[in-house]
Amino acid sequence: MRLHDIRPQKTLTVVTMTLGVQTLAIPAHLLREILDPLPVTRVPGAGPHVPGVVNVRGSVVPLADLKHALSIPDEGHDDRRRILVLEVVLGGEVAVVAISADAVHEVTTIETQAIEPVPVSAQGWPPDYLTGLYRGAQGFVLIPALETIFSNLANRPMANLL
Amino acid sequence: MTDDMSAIFREELRDLLESLERGLLDLKSRPTDTGLINQVFRDLHTVKGSGAMFGFTALAAFIHEFETVFDRVRAGVIPAGQEIVRLALAAKDEIPGLVDGDPDPDGRREAILGALRDIMAGQPVAEAGAEDLAGPPLARLRFRLTGAALAMGARPDILLEELRGLGAAHIVADVSAVPGLDRLDVDTCAIGWSMDLPAGVTFAQLEDVFLFVDADWQHDPVKAPTGADAPAPQDPTPAPPVAAMAPPPVETAPSVAAPPARDSRADAAGATIRVPAERLDGLMDSVGELVILEARLTELARESRDPALIATAEQITRLAAGLRDTTMTMRMVPMRSLVGRFRRLVLDLSDKLGKPVEFSVIGEDTELDKTVIEKLADPLVHILRNAIDHGMETAAERAASGKGGTGLIELSAAHAGAEVLIRVRDDGRGMDPARIRAKAMAQGLIAADTVLTDAQIFTLVFEPGFSTADRVTELSGRGVGMDVVRRTIESLRGSLEIESRLGEGTSVTLRLPLTLAIIEGLLIEVAGERYTLPMASVQEIVELPPEKTQPKRTGDFLDIRGRFVPFLRLRALFDCAGQPGPAQNVVIVMSGEHRVGLVVDRIVGTNQTVIKQMSKLHASVRAVSGATILGDGSVALILDVAHLVGMGRAQTEPQAAAREVAA
Amino acid sequence: MQKTVLTVDDSPSIRRMVALTLEEAGYTVIEAVDGQDGLKKALSQPVDAIITDQNMPNLDGLGFIRALRQNPAGKGVPIVVLSTDSEDVLKAQAREAGALGWMVKPFTQDKLLAVIRKVLG
Repeated sequence: MRLHDIRPQKTLTVVTMTLGVQTLAIPAHLLREILDPLPVTRVPGAGPHVPGVVNVRGSVVPLADLKHALSIPDEGHDDRRRILVLEVVLGGEVAVVAISADAVHEVTTIETQAIEPVPVSAQGWPPDYLTGLYRGAQGFVLIPALETIFSNLANRPMANLL
Repeated sequence: MTDDMSAIFREELRDLLESLERGLLDLKSRPTDTGLINQVFRDLHTVKGSGAMFGFTALAAFIHEFETVFDRVRAGVIPAGQEIVRLALAAKDEIPGLVDGDPDPDGRREAILGALRDIMAGQPVAEAGAEDLAGPPLARLRFRLTGAALAMGARPDILLEELRGLGAAHIVADVSAVPGLDRLDVDTCAIGWSMDLPAGVTFAQLEDVFLFVDADWQHDPVKAPTGADAPAPQDPTPAPPVAAMAPPPVETAPSVAAPPARDSRADAAGATIRVPAERLDGLMDSVGELVILEARLTELARESRDPALIATAEQITRLAAGLRDTTMTMRMVPMRSLVGRFRRLVLDLSDKLGKPVEFSVIGEDTELDKTVIEKLADPLVHILRNAIDHGMETAAERAASGKGGTGLIELSAAHAGAEVLIRVRDDGRGMDPARIRAKAMAQGLIAADTVLTDAQIFTLVFEPGFSTADRVTELSGRGVGMDVVRRTIESLRGSLEIESRLGEGTSVTLRLPLTLAIIEGLLIEVAGERYTLPMASVQEIVELPPEKTQPKRTGDFLDIRGRFVPFLRLRALFDCAGQPGPAQNVVIVMSGEHRVGLVVDRIVGTNQTVIKQMSKLHASVRAVSGATILGDGSVALILDVAHLVGMGRAQTEPQAAAREVAA
Repeated sequence: MQKTVLTVDDSPSIRRMVALTLEEAGYTVIEAVDGQDGLKKALSQPVDAIITDQNMPNLDGLGFIRALRQNPAGKGVPIVVLSTDSEDVLKAQAREAGALGWMVKPFTQDKLLAVIRKVLG
């Protein structure tokens, strides 16, 4: 999802969540459900971006940690931690992917007018990985470009031995 | 059209279908009742008329043919036999799908219409004086799309469908203008068509069909007896070999397909029933869920220590295993279903390339899971094409090297344990490891000092971007294709090997699991994490000798009855923290002819493993081939034995090579 | 499989009418506001057919078709041009640019469906 794709709509409904000290907004139409933490099975050699899998109602679903993709420092987590199950298009097919959130806040509707493009090289965020950002009550809220992030992760070269 | 209007039609249709079904069922017992026949005809006519008005053109076209048959029945030309009633009922069942715009991937509708046409064709041509019953006089139509029709999105299949709706029959493709593959232009349509049309079709109707396309078309309204003018519909020119590249016309053109009606009648009489494949998939999914729940139940029963519950859980375990086995057997189909198209492929290629080839097939009855069979077709086409195109010599070359003029290509399939081996063997020129090695180096696939066995060198041809042909032929060898073969086979949890001797021939062996759905697994534990190994690949389990607990510089080997077997420490491989306990086990697994030991902390036990695919996000993790859900709801990864064995060999061979150099 | 149709038009009411009609008939409809937007959308996702207006800001219908046909991904998609007049010159131009068919405005919903069925089957 690119910024000019959402501009024609007046508003965008998002779910806000935090990773470390950063607030993120996930477009609500991608969200399938929010779950309490689940036992995670580590996938050896998968790397830090998608370190494991979880059992979501009988399906084996990859669990991604967006902190690495978005260069957000890890601040640890507490019992507010949740898992967001998303449906994204990956290689032309709808794929179910889960992401970790240190906390989930609210579902809110924002004016697309209020979304700004990401300043180049600001904060060291990879610009491809962000649709845009807007000013929330507690500072900037980032809208990650989830399909770009996941597509890049799916197309990683087979770098490691495993 | 609004929803309201469509809803009105659907309601009317429901009543019509009920009446139609009742009429047809009554007709079974009273085939000469003219009142009934008239009622059926009226119902059909109304469905067609209203359908057309509400824009359901496919429905109207379908019913039109159906109605034509009943018109003859009504006129007393055709008796309302059991076969007509059976077909009519089958056709009636298609109507809701036609209204909803459902596709007809199995060609059921065309089969029904084909069988109806057969019945009409089987009737004696009407006597003189009964002109209206002789079938309408015919006109011929020929057309050809001009310009870059395909680039503009023209769809010959849709045109043919429209023409068929107008009553076109004996549609024959003219492929005489199809150029060689090297000159084939994907933007233009090189195929033309000719057909018989009912004489009633007007020029304006045809103009409407060709409204959106640039076409040369020729309408010849001269009376001609059915099919007399038409070339025999048996496709005189071989189809272009790469059907997949050509747009739909090649597949759709021979419209007068043989109706499969007779087969289904034979089946109905026998003890065999046909079941749509998706129902089998659904059943397999349910069995998978059942097996997972059964594991959960067994675990809970064990925790409860309640003897009655434990006994019940054991019974359910047995039943689930039986159900699983039966379901998997139901999904097995013989290789024969694939072989027919390969014969044709080999024949065409052999002709085209002027390389006489004899094709033999061994083990056509070998059965595999239907999903595996479906996915196997393309890889085998690639391998066969390669064998003829690159592997096989010309007759002259063969004579020069003292071989018989006719080459041999053999496709064989056989079961080996829980695997199926499929082999394509040729007696052609064989592969030259030195040449492949040089090529792979030139293409940067391997470094100059990489140590590889011949077998490993041969598998380089499956690397993306590799092509051994110095001369790129039009058939294969553009450096694409063989890597797709490997990917497909690996996606089926299989592996492939090449053996070749220069001047003597090549054989490519595919190893595939019997089933993709549920396997017997061996659950193991490494640093508190659980993994599953396919039981079929497990050879034996031994204790790790105390002197081997620390890694050796010279590589890790076990002496298994006089044979050295390399082993991998899964703790180290999987980057686990902590130290292992004092007693570790080694699971010896085998893939192909090679073994590797896997050092694990603990053997948990065997279990029914319902295989779940890993996400694309984990496609790069080659040591894992899938995942499964355990009785406690947690996920265990399924290890890819073929890959681990490969890693074990990689650890061995530089060592072996080093020893050879030292000696 | 649901077929996807892209409607390119600067008039929101025409876009809505096209979308409502086709969605009701079971198609998925994507909307684009001009030729530029249409090009971007047609190239960023698989589209089974395109209905485009001729007179639009930024990039007109003919320009859009020409640009799309130059891209390998834009070949083979049937394009139908909406025009307010049935002049043969425009039809010829549209055809030359790479359009498969045309439709004269105003049109009825039935006519639209018939045309889409004609190009998509």
